[in-house]
Amino acid sequence: MMKKDFMFTSESVTDGHPDKLCDQVSDALIDRFLQQDPFSRVVAECAVSKGILFIAARFASQASIDIPDVARQVIGQIGYEHGAFNAKDCTVMTSLMELPALSYPQPDERQMGEEELEAITARNQANVFGFACNQSAAMMPLPIWLSHKLARRLAAARFQKQLPYLAPDGKTQVGVEYRDGRPHRIHSITLVASQWSTVLRGHDKLRDDLHEHVIEPAFLAEELRPDARTHVFINPDGPVVNGGPSLHSGMTGRKNAVDTYGEYSRHSESALSGKDPSRIDRVGAYAARYAAKNVVAAGLAQACEVHLAYSIGITRPVSVQVDSFGTGSIPDAEIAARIHAHFDFRPAGIIRVFNLRYQPQLFRGGFYRRLAVYGQVGRMDVGLPWEATDKAGLLR
Amino acid sequence: MPGLFNHAQFSPFAGNAPEEAASPWLVRVIHASVKGRARLEVKGLYRCEPVRLRIESALARHSGIRQASANILTGRLLIVFDPVQEVGEITVLVEQVLAEPTLASEWPVASRGASPAPVQEGGNWHVLPGNAVLADLETSSERGLSQDSVQLKLRRFGANSLPRIPPRSGLNIFLGQFKSLPVALLGMSAVLSVATGGLADAVVILGVVLINAGTGYVAESQAERTINALGETASQKALVIRDAQLGEVGAEVLVPGDILVLAPGCRVAADARLLESRNLMIDESALTGESLPVIKAVEPLEKPDVSLGDRINMVYMGTVVTGGSGLAVVVATGRQTEIGTIQVLVGETRPPDTPMQRQLATLGNQMVLLSVGICGMVFLIGLARGYGWLQMLKSSISLAVAAVPEGLPTVATTTLALGIRNMRRHHVLVRHLDAVETLGAMQVICLDKTGTITLNRMSVLTLHSGGRRITLANDAFYDSGVRMDPYQSDELLRLMHVAVLCNETELSGAAGDYMFKGSATETALVHLAIAAGVSVDALRQQYPRVQVEYRTEKHNYMRTTHVMEEGRKFIAVKGSPAEVLELCGWWIKDGVRLPLTETERAAILIENDRMAGEALRVLGFAYMELAQEADETSAQDLIWLGLTGMADPVRQGVKELIALFHQAGIDTVMITGDQSATAYAIGKELGLSGSKELNILDSTRLEQLDPEVLTGLVQKVNIFSRVSPANKLQIMQALQRAGKVAAMTGDGINDGPALKVADIGVAMGGVGTEVARDVADVVLEDDNLHTMIVAVSEGRTIYNNIRKSVHFLTATNLSEIMMMLGSIGTGLGTPLTTMQLLWINLVTDIFPALALAVEPPEPDILSRAPRDPQEPIVSSSDFKRYGFESFAMTAGAMSSYGYAVARHGIGPQASTVAFMTLTMAQLLHAYNCRSDQSRVVSHEPLRPNSYLNLALGTTAALQLASVAVPGLRSLLGNTLPGLTDMAVISAGSILPFIMNGATKGKEPFEGKRRQALLPSDLTVEV
Repeated sequence: MMKKDFMFTSESVTDGHPDKLCDQVSDALIDRFLQQDPFSRVVAECAVSKGILFIAARFASQASIDIPDVARQVIGQIGYEHGAFNAKDCTVMTSLMELPALSYPQPDERQMGEEELEAITARNQANVFGFACNQSAAMMPLPIWLSHKLARRLAAARFQKQLPYLAPDGKTQVGVEYRDGRPHRIHSITLVASQWSTVLRGHDKLRDDLHEHVIEPAFLAEELRPDARTHVFINPDGPVVNGGPSLHSGMTGRKNAVDTYGEYSRHSESALSGKDPSRIDRVGAYAARYAAKNVVAAGLAQACEVHLAYSIGITRPVSVQVDSFGTGSIPDAEIAARIHAHFDFRPAGIIRVFNLRYQPQLFRGGFYRRLAVYGQVGRMDVGLPWEATDKAGLLR
Repeated sequence: MPGLFNHAQFSPFAGNAPEEAASPWLVRVIHASVKGRARLEVKGLYRCEPVRLRIESALARHSGIRQASANILTGRLLIVFDPVQEVGEITVLVEQVLAEPTLASEWPVASRGASPAPVQEGGNWHVLPGNAVLADLETSSERGLSQDSVQLKLRRFGANSLPRIPPRSGLNIFLGQFKSLPVALLGMSAVLSVATGGLADAVVILGVVLINAGTGYVAESQAERTINALGETASQKALVIRDAQLGEVGAEVLVPGDILVLAPGCRVAADARLLESRNLMIDESALTGESLPVIKAVEPLEKPDVSLGDRINMVYMGTVVTGGSGLAVVVATGRQTEIGTIQVLVGETRPPDTPMQRQLATLGNQMVLLSVGICGMVFLIGLARGYGWLQMLKSSISLAVAAVPEGLPTVATTTLALGIRNMRRHHVLVRHLDAVETLGAMQVICLDKTGTITLNRMSVLTLHSGGRRITLANDAFYDSGVRMDPYQSDELLRLMHVAVLCNETELSGAAGDYMFKGSATETALVHLAIAAGVSVDALRQQYPRVQVEYRTEKHNYMRTTHVMEEGRKFIAVKGSPAEVLELCGWWIKDGVRLPLTETERAAILIENDRMAGEALRVLGFAYMELAQEADETSAQDLIWLGLTGMADPVRQGVKELIALFHQAGIDTVMITGDQSATAYAIGKELGLSGSKELNILDSTRLEQLDPEVLTGLVQKVNIFSRVSPANKLQIMQALQRAGKVAAMTGDGINDGPALKVADIGVAMGGVGTEVARDVADVVLEDDNLHTMIVAVSEGRTIYNNIRKSVHFLTATNLSEIMMMLGSIGTGLGTPLTTMQLLWINLVTDIFPALALAVEPPEPDILSRAPRDPQEPIVSSSDFKRYGFESFAMTAGAMSSYGYAVARHGIGPQASTVAFMTLTMAQLLHAYNCRSDQSRVVSHEPLRPNSYLNLALGTTAALQLASVAVPGLRSLLGNTLPGLTDMAVISAGSILPFIMNGATKGKEPFEGKRRQALLPSDLTVEV
């Protein structure tokens, strides 16, 4: 059963946060590989420390990519163009391992028959989780939804030159008070915004600016807004100067909660970014979210968590569990049965349904790279196939 | 003459330096504890010849001073004076001398005119304005000196050359043979022998000494010749203005007042004051150690006492122009230059011995001490056993003589020198003796990409035009594998027209034999157009160029405007594909102009990515035709033509060479200014990381990286991309901090510092700059990197061979000691007579050792890991092994001797058996010293060493003669052994040989294991 009255906080970070920077570089590489060769097998992991970006990539692909150049483009687009860590001067250490070449032509999931789909098994073991609830328009838990909104606004205020003195690194957190299992009020808002040392503003100026250009616009379309008692913390630890990789280090896959549900529900330990679509630990999470969202959209539950367990060498998940936390209109087992009937959880099936190999070619500026910041699920801006509620009718 | 010195002669005291007046002391007492002697530090004396002369001459005239000698290199003054005077009075006196205003006529220059040392001002040219300097030196920047005044000055100041270390004379080398401790011991023995009545012994000992010295002399004087030839460099030239004419003269005839013209790449030939500077940049690392080039200016400085590195209006001899140009007036030449004074300070000693030579000297001395100690013991034991003291003394002395490895230093020097000569045959010029040693220990080699790994010649390999991908092979165009005619494709032809028009490469010569003058990239484009059949000159005449916009920081493309008939304009653009594409609104496919849609843009960019990923340098091309009056800046709708991808092909055989380095346990690192995709493609092609992942460090600001971080990273990195040549220094220093012995190749001006710092700096002889060749340890005369592997093999072989000689000398000498000690200790008398001992020393010591030193390389020398540079040449485990081997030889000889004593009793017959057995065992042992590895384990046989066979054959024949030839037999006190004795001798010498051979290091070498790990495709035949 879900608790009735409680407080919950979730955090989000901006694109300039070192962990997210690594995620974006990793996923930008996935995009580039898939653009040139949709059947590339790639694992790209990054770490950044002391102004050095480390990239370890293992791949089997016909594509040829200038990996540091891609990384520099990402760093530059994020906004690190000057200062101690910048796109032009930073040192990039790549450790590249080419795997044995794949045999081409590779089977295309889009043209596969049932038998072929069945023949492609999971190549990793994974517990993946998908969650949805009716707390926000995107069917995301409200704390993470609001944190992402604030983080986006924080970044946008810099990009749109409203607050040009902001540096790319930033962090947000929103605490939501729940009454009777529903969001009741905004308990607290925390913003950590870094500033360039060259144009440092005083704390009061910063606080007013962030109120005006970040908090207010972020809550404009929201039902719940900060009230008089809402605590607003802005840079509670004092000013953050420059921030980013020259201040603290980062690593791919260290912001899994930000990528998913803000710890409101369970999430898998394995990273989502930096993996090509043949990795079930990545795409399984999308499929689980797809199922959970459709369950809530169908009105079968107010909140729903779908858990899929994959074993190496087995095509279908060895377990499909549904938890509606007591909000279900039908028993959880029945929901699970309906999901089973209408959703394809086979690795190749997921690739086919979401067209994952070809998405990077369809989006100018990349597909996976966009997922790497502000959440891989619950996105209303990208038109993600797993955010569609097209199966709700079938589930009812 | 007065004109030469009328400015600020010794400014700290007399002249123009008010800030100096406040200085707390002029003269300070350093040392005055001995009455009548004082060592003073004198301010302003350091490197100031005039002050020295003034102090010395003034004090010499003073009655209380007996002697005064000032040293400009230390800034100190030693005074010997009448002890009645106090030190305080002396310092006051010196201060007075310094404070005295001097007249130019007082200058002792004239009075010392006979002295060969020319006197030039050490002074403060940097505080003077340029025209004052010119006036002082009686010259002018336009006309320069006249031929007459040059001759005059040349006579006065001498040649502009640095003192050379005089080569050792033959006598010196010969006498040097007698200076070592082992020879001294032999000499003492001879004296003792004479004193004890053994004149014959003394003669033989002296014979040993002389033969040794003779061999040493011959070997060392040859080595000396080789070594002296190392330092020889081609004579330097300098560009000067004399008699208003610009001309090239030898650097040695420069005189103060000459006007030097400085251009990039030239070495500054004398100290000079700058008169003009156009962005002149100078690498002063030779003088100041500062690796970054200094930007020079002409304005006078304010303060006289600034460090050399900050005297930015001066240029110094030995430094190198790395950029810009300038004009300077020579103010000091030869010994008086800054580098000259340093060289005087450090250069008058011989280059130090190499680490190995030092180790061997220590080893030799240790052996001397050991043998002296044991001989003393043998003597005492003998006395205790009741042998006559005279006999024991003689035996002990001769034992000492036999046991001392007097050949050790000769062997080492000879081997190193022979190695250098051998490498020269392979066109590898080794410029320092110790580089030979270091070559053998090399663990990492850093290679320049451009020029070393690649040909440094760009050529277009791929085109992308009209949505088609066209490849080039041997100047022929192929569209998806089918040969095509570029004239059939309108857009391709237009692309090539733009490539020729938007291009500054100049073309000369006739068809088929064109000469290009321009950048590598643009030359490649012109070459492409010629291959397609475009008439370059005609095209350029048809569309004369009226305007060029070069690429800048802001826009990464070049744009040229050309005039067409009817006054229309043709605009050609080439540059970064993404940026050129942004300017375009149209593209051409099959001759039809079409609007550029998002899809086509994306496709072009993906193609760009792909080409860049294939390590091609990609350029985009576009054009536009404008009506006469059109405003060209507003028009942004260029027409896209396509992409070209070009590359610098890898030299043949480099891949195999890299595999050879890996097999030899040497890591390879490539250094390039290219993008990392290019670097990756080449790294992959060459297999730079073996079968492991390829690590690329991509950085334009390597110098900003935390040195500790770089030290950690550098051990993993296979490729440094986008680095500038100056960063090589950081890479090398990081490798050395990581404890690696590293080599670095280079040929440019900027490579100098890195080559110098490198354990082995490798310069290319043909294409390299003079600077690179000057500072390098190794010069590859034929620019062939393959010879590096020969050099490594040679370096390793030399080191191993010296070890073999040491092995042989140590083991055999130990066996003699053990034999005597064992026999006297067990009461079997002295098995070897003094004559026999001396004979052994003559026959078995130096010749087999020398022959071992010229062993051919062991077959697996290049599949072993490099040796640990910290490891001593003879480790303690080696000593144990040598001890064991000599014990085996001793045991064999003792058994034979024991048998013979039992049969014949103590006496000449038994001694002969012992003598023959031991000598034969020692000669056979030379074969065991040829390799540390057991022949049973090793599969590949050693290559034969004919020198060794000859040396051993000769000595064995001599040995047989010592019993067969009657005169010799009686001199040595031998008898003719019987058949049984001969059998015993054979058994006693052959059994230890077999035993030592069989018990040799069984564990396979590190290198063997490495070889097994290498994938089969990487193992390449040598």
